[in-house]
Amino acid sequence: MSLFNSILPSLNREPAASCATSAVKPAYDVQETPEAYRLTVQLPGVAKDGLELTAEDNEIRITGRRGWTQPESWTPLYRETTDAAYELVLTHENEIDAGKIAAELRDGVLYVTLPKAEALKPRKIAVS
Amino acid sequence: MRLVRYVYPDYRTYAPAPGGFNRSPWSGFEGEIDRLFETARRSFPGAGAAPTQIPVDLYEDQANTYVRAELPGVNRDDINVEVSDGRLNIRAVRKTPATPAADAPDSTAAEKTFSFSRTVNLSAEVQTDRIGAAFENGVLTVTLPKREEAKPKKITVAVK
Repeated sequence: MSLFNSILPSLNREPAASCATSAVKPAYDVQETPEAYRLTVQLPGVAKDGLELTAEDNEIRITGRRGWTQPESWTPLYRETTDAAYELVLTHENEIDAGKIAAELRDGVLYVTLPKAEALKPRKIAVS
Repeated sequence: MRLVRYVYPDYRTYAPAPGGFNRSPWSGFEGEIDRLFETARRSFPGAGAAPTQIPVDLYEDQANTYVRAELPGVNRDDINVEVSDGRLNIRAVRKTPATPAADAPDSTAAEKTFSFSRTVNLSAEVQTDRIGAAFENGVLTVTLPKREEAKPKKITVAVK
């Protein structure tokens, strides 16, 4: 068995490593303009204080906890949604100006403007 | 989960490639399997319903039945809740304001609208004239009070 494991390293890893987290990946959309990337994330049920947006070196992490919890006396009859928190991680190649990120949460949708770093913007060079 | 578009695998993705010590030679294949599982997992309930149908939850307590529907990005005024023939119908329109396109910033794209609806059958014990609804953080909660007859009653019987 150890021979198998050494030949196929994937046998050593956790089964379904990508399914291990309990967080849900929200629906999202990225649009590009010459100045910035516009990110729209659908986070129904998330209030402002349950939302966290962190920008690291080359990734943007959005986590959202739902602001509503089921009262004690309510019995669920039928569920289509989950109570799990949302988590979205987007990677990029250091092309975003982390200091100028602006975000707005409105009606359960998060709108994030990710301005491109100065070095990446198209620049016109005058030919003399 | 990258900002870059997904590239369809070719023969090089699946072929065992000599990599560094840390990189599994089958990592391309493993990534492909993970992606397939993630796609399949999305079609299960709980991971997201059909896109044009509003996902709903039904709850009940002693006095009311509750319907909670997720409506992200919808304005409060664009939600329409109707009860007729013992059915609760929720209709909503999401309006995306016009944004100039990436390649032509001067052109004004038209406002986009997207409508979705959902119908839930109600049991006969709902008082249709006292239905209330609240909208908060993109989630609509409809409260459907039960008829007096349907509420559980407590009767104390004197034991002699």
